[in-house]
Amino acid sequence: MAGIGFELRRILNRDTYVATLQAYLYAGLISSGPWVLSILSVLLIGILSVSVVAPTLLVTQFLVSVTYLMSASLIFTGGLQLMFTRFISDRLFEERDDVILPNLIGILLLTTAVAGVLGASFIFLMFEESLLYRILMVANFVTLTDLWLVVIFLSGMKAYNRILLTMLIGYLVMVMAAYFLRHFSLEGLLLAFLIGHCVLLFAFLYDILREFPSNKFVAFDFLDRKKVFWSLFATGMFYYFGVWVDKYLFWFNPATSVDVIGPLNASLIYDIPIFLAYLAIIPGMAVFLVRIETDFAEHYEQLYNAIRGGEALDHIYFLKDQMVYSIRQGILEVFKVQGLTVVLIFLWAPSILDLLGISSYYLPLFYIDLVGVSVQVLLMSIMNVYFYLDRRGIVLALNILFFVLNLVLTVATHWLGPSFYGYGFAGSITITTFIGFIILNRTLEDLEYETFMLQK
Amino acid sequence: MADADVLLLLEGTYPYVRGGVSSWVHQIIRGVPELKFALVFVGGAREHYGEQQYELPENVVHLEEHFLQESWHQQKSRRCPGNVDAFNRCQQMHDYFHQSHDDLPDALISDLLNMINDPDKGITHEDFLFSEASWEYMTNGYEKYCTEPSFVNYFWTVRSMHAPIFMLSKVARGAPRAPVIHSISTGFAGLLGAFVKHQHPECNFILSEHGIYTKERKIDLAQAEWIQDSTTDLDSGLTDDVGYIRQLWIRFFEELGRITYHASDPIVALYEGNRLRQVQDGAIAKRTRVIPNGISLAQYEDALDKRPKEIPPIVGLIGRIVPIKDIKTFIRAMRSICNKIPEAEGWLVGPTEEDEAYAAECEGLVSSMGLENNVKFLGFQKVPEILPQLGVMALTSISEAQPLVMLEAYAAGVPCVATDVGSCRELIEGYSEEDKALGHAGAVVNIADPLATAEECLKLLGNPELWNKAQQAGLARVTSFYTEQLMYDRYREMYQIAMAKS
Repeated sequence: MAGIGFELRRILNRDTYVATLQAYLYAGLISSGPWVLSILSVLLIGILSVSVVAPTLLVTQFLVSVTYLMSASLIFTGGLQLMFTRFISDRLFEERDDVILPNLIGILLLTTAVAGVLGASFIFLMFEESLLYRILMVANFVTLTDLWLVVIFLSGMKAYNRILLTMLIGYLVMVMAAYFLRHFSLEGLLLAFLIGHCVLLFAFLYDILREFPSNKFVAFDFLDRKKVFWSLFATGMFYYFGVWVDKYLFWFNPATSVDVIGPLNASLIYDIPIFLAYLAIIPGMAVFLVRIETDFAEHYEQLYNAIRGGEALDHIYFLKDQMVYSIRQGILEVFKVQGLTVVLIFLWAPSILDLLGISSYYLPLFYIDLVGVSVQVLLMSIMNVYFYLDRRGIVLALNILFFVLNLVLTVATHWLGPSFYGYGFAGSITITTFIGFIILNRTLEDLEYETFMLQK
Repeated sequence: MADADVLLLLEGTYPYVRGGVSSWVHQIIRGVPELKFALVFVGGAREHYGEQQYELPENVVHLEEHFLQESWHQQKSRRCPGNVDAFNRCQQMHDYFHQSHDDLPDALISDLLNMINDPDKGITHEDFLFSEASWEYMTNGYEKYCTEPSFVNYFWTVRSMHAPIFMLSKVARGAPRAPVIHSISTGFAGLLGAFVKHQHPECNFILSEHGIYTKERKIDLAQAEWIQDSTTDLDSGLTDDVGYIRQLWIRFFEELGRITYHASDPIVALYEGNRLRQVQDGAIAKRTRVIPNGISLAQYEDALDKRPKEIPPIVGLIGRIVPIKDIKTFIRAMRSICNKIPEAEGWLVGPTEEDEAYAAECEGLVSSMGLENNVKFLGFQKVPEILPQLGVMALTSISEAQPLVMLEAYAAGVPCVATDVGSCRELIEGYSEEDKALGHAGAVVNIADPLATAEECLKLLGNPELWNKAQQAGLARVTSFYTEQLMYDRYREMYQIAMAKS
């Protein structure tokens, strides 16, 4: 969204090391923010509880429940997130700020209702745990789906200090609540999880209410065929399918999983390395956001202003070259920073795992996951460039490809045996990214042709 | 099998718009009732044309309408490579348009007409709009020729300019079959004619122009505000530099004219001046000929009997009260006339609604010259009733084609004083040797010259011998060269020759 680029540029313009650091920190938190922070805080809750909650199976049950909540809510809202992000951007571009709030309320009502009904029916049918557990699961699910829709607005808002503070407080509340509630075993931890996310949800909602006042309470314009792109819905859906399909395959393959709670399985060998690996993408995400939203966005805007404003063709070519250069620089920088991160974590991995009390047996899988998630940052960069260029079809195709490859290759690794675990995910994302680069190259090569000749 | 005898191509006129050209078309169709006509109307946008303004004569067997605006409708875009070779040939053709002002080579034109909408060897509209070859071609064209910076303007101009060409090629393919194609103008209707002629070389393509289409377009384009010039405000007025986009449009219509002239034979003009203009614009001289308009003499059979014995000191101007008729010069001339003949009158016969501000200015001029009792605004009147009451007819227009009102004046026995525009000199002094031998039917004066106008009117009014000679010359001229029947015969003959040839 446009807002973040503006803010980042403003911070960077101060031209000091502290400002630069601040910009990257901010970008890192915004881009990988809630998701990574959740992983961190959940891990922290796990560590805090191990000594108190007995048996340890309960802690595992909590971690697995939370993992499923996360993945289910992300997959459930994946399509809406992307579609709604574009809807909001378009309305902001039209300067129709007054329709933002009613539509947010609308989409929250809709997701709450649908997620509530679906979640409740599933959980009450499939689980035989305590009533309280089941209620908490439904509540958590609904809260998370709402939260994923609300965080869309974070990158568009100007009060970034408030956002950072809110996030910090939210997760602090969660961890503290867990500390006090851990004596109430599994239900206590789930309640803490719920409290933390509710604090976040309502705090962000409060901020959005202040930023986008409106005299209408609820609207459903985001369902209007003419105002949204359903291809974006499919794109978001396949993206999360792709990201999670390998995990589900591991959870439901009897050879790689164990029953944990109700119908939920976990794959101990697979889960821990991949979630740890996701923590390593923060630097890459930060660089990616800063580069894309400042340099690239600026050049992109210049190019399209020149085209619309009746500039000479030479100048249009020149600006396009500049834009292509900014993309190349941005991706190169993501590559460098993420590469360095990967190298450092490779070096420290044995000690990190040791520190966390995780068996070095996981090391090879951790390494390959590290590579996989790092390439994922590159894929996200490419996808964002495509979104800017409004090539929705290509992004959709890439995401479908990613999903299918991840499905097929992960199944293949199951056949090949444990030493190949993780290669399905890393392989599929690498192939997809590679193809994405090739298409991007071609798209940029005849960008003028497509812009002029094939406009709709 | 032929659907009709004559395929009549009409651009923006008959049967939807009233006016000189339309009534002429109506007249011709009724004048040769034994031939069957198929009408193809080409208009700008459907909503600009309302009801049919004319009831179609019996011998019109077909009418179809096509609107150029529909060629700009958005098509679904689709990436395609396009025929590089065809676009290269297209480039050569346009290089030729840029460099040369001579006649176009036959091969080039036939290649061009072949290429349009040929999916294998040529360029379809889709290719033109969406193909990579087309993009290559357009950017080259921009870099090579465009002197204005805005690429987006150039791009859209070229795109919208060429869209009708593709549409007309398709229209030509579906047009009714007839041995004779007759277009009433160059421009889009002319191009349509060229397409039909190219697809059916056995047909004969007659072109008759009322005005000169290309010239009229140029005047429109010079003033068109929808074309954005990149020139700054400082330039305008100081230089006569025309912006590139405007030039592009002008050249486009020039080329349409050239292609039409190239395909058609005979090429008919209304009078000698226009014929020369056609030749200058690229028509081959030996194909050109003049067929003037004619009037029906029936209404004027008893006009001479209605005339008073003496020459009435009344000078009439029959026409709309608009600047192009230069009514003010007429009023100023009346001042001089009234100085010599105080009882002289000037009658302005014609509607004032078209330009009320101008009409008011004219009335102001009348009173400031103290002519309130002499100059009368009569509004719209029946011409056959007014003419016998006039002594002289004056025509002060700064532009005319072939003014029928002069012929009507002759038929009613009224000599004319007219400015040297359009065919006025031919009408007054004669065109052919035989015609010239009839003598002068009045006098020709320069435009915006009230003194000369007054002088010539006074000469006629004050010299019955001269006046009578002029009256006889006028009567002889209109009856031998400018009757409706003569015009029908000439067109009938032309149609028959064309039909016999095909």
